[in-house]
Amino acid sequence: MSTQLALSDLDLPRRNGELAFDAPWQSTVFALAAAVIEHAFGGDREPFRQQLIAAIAAQPGRPYWESWTAALEALVQALP
Amino acid sequence: MTESAHHPAPLSPVEQRVAALQTLLTERGLVPEGFIEEITRQYESEIGPMNGAKVVARAWVDPGYKQRLQADGTAAIAELGIGGPEGHHMVVVENTAGVHNVIVCTLCSCYPWPVLGLPPAWYKDPPYRARMVREPRALLAEMGCLLPEDVEIRVWDSSAEVRYLVLPPRPRGTESRTEAELAALVTRDSMIGVARL
Repeated sequence: MSTQLALSDLDLPRRNGELAFDAPWQSTVFALAAAVIEHAFGGDREPFRQQLIAAIAAQPGRPYWESWTAALEALVQALP
Repeated sequence: MTESAHHPAPLSPVEQRVAALQTLLTERGLVPEGFIEEITRQYESEIGPMNGAKVVARAWVDPGYKQRLQADGTAAIAELGIGGPEGHHMVVVENTAGVHNVIVCTLCSCYPWPVLGLPPAWYKDPPYRARMVREPRALLAEMGCLLPEDVEIRVWDSSAEVRYLVLPPRPRGTESRTEAELAALVTRDSMIGVARL
């Protein structure tokens, strides 16, 4: 349960010794989900949460933010 | 994507997928200018366990606040100007001499963002999500949180609506500390329930 940090990460902000995001694409996909939830679902987080649950269940060992990406892809496909 | 112009290294498959999502959603008008940067900034610098620490410290020094916090967590947390996504139905669970509370999300990664920020990596990983329910005492011990056998462990699985925050007991010998000094003692892990103060 430890986090390996590359030297290049050392100037990034962190809390309690852990980075909020390990790479720019992670913060991007996090914010993209927030944008879709806010602007396409009127702030209702539940549809995304259900996709995230399904994405994690489909591949439990997959890195978290990759499951997040898969969940957002599935949610976006279902947009009218 | 001005970044890619400066870094010609090829994008990894997942970076390509995120870039495609960003293009698609921006074209559909769902991503306002500056939105990604603003959200990232908020979660890297403003929204984090320092907010929960303020709530805990206030509860320690103000019995009336503690009462309101336990009666309606969301409203009492909002009194301190704290709220937002993943914090609309907050329940605060108090650790006592006989009861130790710990939070988990067994299905995904539900977590009280306004008071704790985004969850640490281990909170989102399968071993924590499975074992905290199956064998909390053993897992807590492995994480350095050793509990006497007579302390009851309550595991709170964050559901679709409810987000939990653990209220740890005020450490002994802190009677002369100010509220701000007390807040500095409160750790993220103590508010998840995987550590004691």
